Amino acid sequence: MKSPKIQMSVVGPVLALVVLLVLGASLNPSFLAWDNVTNVLARSAFIGIIAVGMTFVITAGGLDLSVGSMAAFIAGLMILVMNSALPSLGVGIPIVLLGMAVALAAGLVAGCLNGILISRLGIEAFIVTLGSMGIYRSLVTWLADGGTLSLDFGLRTFYQPVYYGGLFGVSWPIIVFALVVIVGEIAMRSTAFGRHCAAIGSNDQVAKYSSVKVARVRLTTYVVLGLLVGVATILYVPRLGSASPATGLLWELEAIAAVIIGGTMLRGGFGRVWGTVIGVLILSLIGNILNLTDLVSPYLNGAIQGAIIVLAVILQRDTRQGQ
Amino acid sequence: MSEPVLALDGVSRSFGPIEVLHGVSLALRPGRVHALIGENGAGKSTAMKILAGYQPPTSGTVRLDGAPTAFASIGEAEARGISMIHQEFNLAEQLTVEQNIFLGRELKRGLLLDKPAMRARTRELLDLLDCHVATDRKVSGLSNSDKQMTEIAKALLRETRVLIMDEPTAVLTSAETAVLMRQVRALRERGAAILFTSHKLDEVKGIADDLTIMRDGAVVWSGDASEKDEHAMASAMVGREMRDLYPAKGPAPGEVVLEVSGLNVPGHAEDISFTLRRGEILGVAGLIGSGRTETFEGLCGLRAATGEVRVKGRPVTIRHPWEALDLGLCYLTEDRKTRGLLLRKGMRENLTLQALDRFTHGLIDTTAEEAALDKAVREFDIRGSRAVRVGNLSGGNQQKLLFAKTMLSEPEIVVIDEPTRGVDIGTKQQMYGFIRGLATEGRAIVVISSEMQEVIGLADRVLVMRRGRVAGELAGAAASEDAIVRLAMGVLPAEETVA
Amino acid sequence: MKHFAAALAVSAALAVPAFAQDGETKVIGVSIPAATHGWAGGMNYFAQATVERLEKVYPNLDFVLTTASDPAKQVNDIEDMVAARHVNALVVLPFESEPLTGPVQNAKASGAWITVVDRGLSVEGIEDLYVAGDNPGFGRESGEYVASALPEGGKIVVLRGIPTTIDNERVEGFQKAIEGKNIEILGMEHGNWNRDDSFAVMQDFLSKYPQIDAVWASDDDMAVGVLAAIEAAGRKDIRFVLGGAGMKEMVKRVMDKDTMIPADVTYPPAMIATAIELTAVGLVSSAPVSGKFIIGSVLITPENAEGYYFPDSPF
Repeated sequence: MKSPKIQMSVVGPVLALVVLLVLGASLNPSFLAWDNVTNVLARSAFIGIIAVGMTFVITAGGLDLSVGSMAAFIAGLMILVMNSALPSLGVGIPIVLLGMAVALAAGLVAGCLNGILISRLGIEAFIVTLGSMGIYRSLVTWLADGGTLSLDFGLRTFYQPVYYGGLFGVSWPIIVFALVVIVGEIAMRSTAFGRHCAAIGSNDQVAKYSSVKVARVRLTTYVVLGLLVGVATILYVPRLGSASPATGLLWELEAIAAVIIGGTMLRGGFGRVWGTVIGVLILSLIGNILNLTDLVSPYLNGAIQGAIIVLAVILQRDTRQGQ
Repeated sequence: MSEPVLALDGVSRSFGPIEVLHGVSLALRPGRVHALIGENGAGKSTAMKILAGYQPPTSGTVRLDGAPTAFASIGEAEARGISMIHQEFNLAEQLTVEQNIFLGRELKRGLLLDKPAMRARTRELLDLLDCHVATDRKVSGLSNSDKQMTEIAKALLRETRVLIMDEPTAVLTSAETAVLMRQVRALRERGAAILFTSHKLDEVKGIADDLTIMRDGAVVWSGDASEKDEHAMASAMVGREMRDLYPAKGPAPGEVVLEVSGLNVPGHAEDISFTLRRGEILGVAGLIGSGRTETFEGLCGLRAATGEVRVKGRPVTIRHPWEALDLGLCYLTEDRKTRGLLLRKGMRENLTLQALDRFTHGLIDTTAEEAALDKAVREFDIRGSRAVRVGNLSGGNQQKLLFAKTMLSEPEIVVIDEPTRGVDIGTKQQMYGFIRGLATEGRAIVVISSEMQEVIGLADRVLVMRRGRVAGELAGAAASEDAIVRLAMGVLPAEETVA
Repeated sequence: MKHFAAALAVSAALAVPAFAQDGETKVIGVSIPAATHGWAGGMNYFAQATVERLEKVYPNLDFVLTTASDPAKQVNDIEDMVAARHVNALVVLPFESEPLTGPVQNAKASGAWITVVDRGLSVEGIEDLYVAGDNPGFGRESGEYVASALPEGGKIVVLRGIPTTIDNERVEGFQKAIEGKNIEILGMEHGNWNRDDSFAVMQDFLSKYPQIDAVWASDDDMAVGVLAAIEAAGRKDIRFVLGGAGMKEMVKRVMDKDTMIPADVTYPPAMIATAIELTAVGLVSSAPVSGKFIIGSVLITPENAEGYYFPDSPF
């Protein structure tokens, strides 16, 4: 009796993805062309990498609203540092490595700050990250003086292959995304960390009474998310070579939506990384298909996106009640 | 005898392909208290839910005043005078007593709430129940007995003819139980039909007029409660002759493994000192609120505490539960549903949660986990499907699983808080056997319990707590019920303290 | 403000003797949206710079500058200015027309001079001075350029901004200008005046259409995303991309004769400076400044680009 229902929760998001793929392919033959497929995957990579980290945070019963503005801030910081190191380091691998180090370090620190406030001081994650969301957003506006921070042109040209280049025709963002997903899936499924996240999200009292280091695990989820925001930024900056107050706008909501579409519970206690990947792909494909076809007025894009998100979650609902 | 007001007539109930109730008949009469007893999983809860309109029967009839009835909803059953009080209370924790009692039927004056009228009526109902809690207290801050009284007041307000209570005394102290029993008698005088379940057979004996015993989803005995003594009830429930509930005491204990002196848990306990030996079971008695649980939570790093603690002669500092665990010291909570088990997870995840590093070599070895579960299921006789969430297991099996989970990290010193709360008598006997077995293996055990009999029957030595301090220590024959009660209440004449 | 070809239609009927300079300190309130995108960033920069400059020029003028991230905050700002600072004049670039109309009306009732910038209010006749860019003109100018650059006709794609009246007026102006010029619009999608969005939209246009002759990105931020997408795809069929607004990087590329960016169309964020300057003049002198001041959109080409290049501006 149970088995068909359990499978349905797995099938739900996959089914939604397959429907979208079939729809896309039937509406426009270039949909399945290699170029379009890699475009969509590479585009999904930023949100995707962040959403993998978000999966752990949400599974452990937390939330992080600051990731979008954190990405914008890190991008701005990275560009400023690289531009100002340009006279001394010149265009070359060292300066790119410096930029990457800055991004990772900034992500680590930002994640740590969120995590410490939430796990050690016990402030609501929603409030802490709502606050840091505003702080990072206005910091990047301030850094950019309200305008746009642009990477030096020569430097950008040198750095560009990190977004556009790749191995065997697969671009770096896709490769990095895939690696993050594989490591994330293993961590969630079969490490003590993943198990502890689920336990804390289910009931942090039980975790505490079971000698789980609750505060440390919580902190770790935010630090990991911060680091992944840094990784996403490293891949984002070479694409357009700029950061502005509009960078990363609403990424947090897209990442959270992807996580939930994938079957992770918003209240915590259960998460799956592969589901998050499906969620991210569903979100990017909707935009892609709407751009490739003229079926509906572009004014309705948001409505279609919203309807599909709700539908993907409804498909899983029966299961949750049945379990 | 009066006509039944509410009755089950040959009722069966299936979940999927599995039938859990087989042709159960049960009659509740006005002015009588009906006790329903049986082991966990015998079908008592299902029978009660069908009576209260929570679930329809798969076959058979529910009769209200003799006429076949199908309640469309709980609300309809309630409107027709049937109320059910759950073991886990059905109260809005953030609302006040008065708001809870009037929830859904608030008194109004025009568009606004008539608060003075509701307050007065609440006071009246609570006074009737001999409950002195302030009507504007938040329910979350109430003791279990006050919550129970709030539930009953709620039922009274709805002019209940039939009151169904699922283990109303499981979370009450003996004094609170006495108050409740007095109220049940008062309700009976007013002509209400009352059905309750309990694992405490002495209570059943004390108050029930009618008795129904269930086993494996069927009624095995039904009749006048006076016809069965406690021993016969237990035997009928378990389906075999119940002889010795408590295992024989062990051999003389070994060396001291735990020495606690001057332990303070701010706000709950102070200056607690005791020792514990290998192979020994130390019982801890005291009223609820005497600081028993908090003392040992403090000892095990679950709340802030200061004091001198020596494990095997070595002074130690314990600030976190994992530090206690590293020293071989583990606390098994009294509250299995909110602190002990992840109710939405399966058995395997729960079993290995505390000892996960034993199964992790980089990655978690699920095969080893399954093997550990096989062993635990065998060793602790855990019944129930492995596919279901732990929340769907019966209380007794949950308790066994919690026990297995704790023992998986092989602690040498185990503090077990209320080992048999809400479990049936058969499981109780098993649990006592397990606990004594652990002591015989050479572990040192602390058993905290509100059940006097349990402490006396199981422990080698008894520590009695009162108002956050050790009131005394009793060993051997000196550990009598009378002596414990006197220490726990801090008064001398036994007649005044036993309600 | 000599750089902007201005169509000044001043109604001379209303002079402003009430504000004649008399030694008493006067307060001008300036309320604008926060710098959430490039154009607004430039507008903030010019507002600040103008306020700083005018405070030196007119010692008896005081300025209160507030930026708001949403309409509700802007309403609060304006109410505070009227109640607490007793402003003599209010320069406002409304976030949205509807919610701001009431508060500005109240400011007017308190006796303040009202200058409205860029976006009109929903009730006519509140403002004493209206300073705005010319959105249909912006579209027309862009359309005429595209038509002239593709004399034999061609296929183009269009990136639109955030769905608003401004965007609609621009696109209508554009479509009118290319009518009958044998230019086919293959597709139009919203890039929301955002680089990342326009990058994705352009990638999809490139997948969908094998042959595109030109792109009207309608905004310089969007042009940046469009150019990156074209470059990444390695497509050679696109001859040029036309942005808009006059971002300094784009003006520089026009100046440097970049073939992909042969031109740009202005929609100057400095219009806020025009508004503040005119308001100040009205307050301290008897020169009449009431009426409408429409700043036309101008085509920037390599020939005139130098005059539109401000390296210090953030935009």
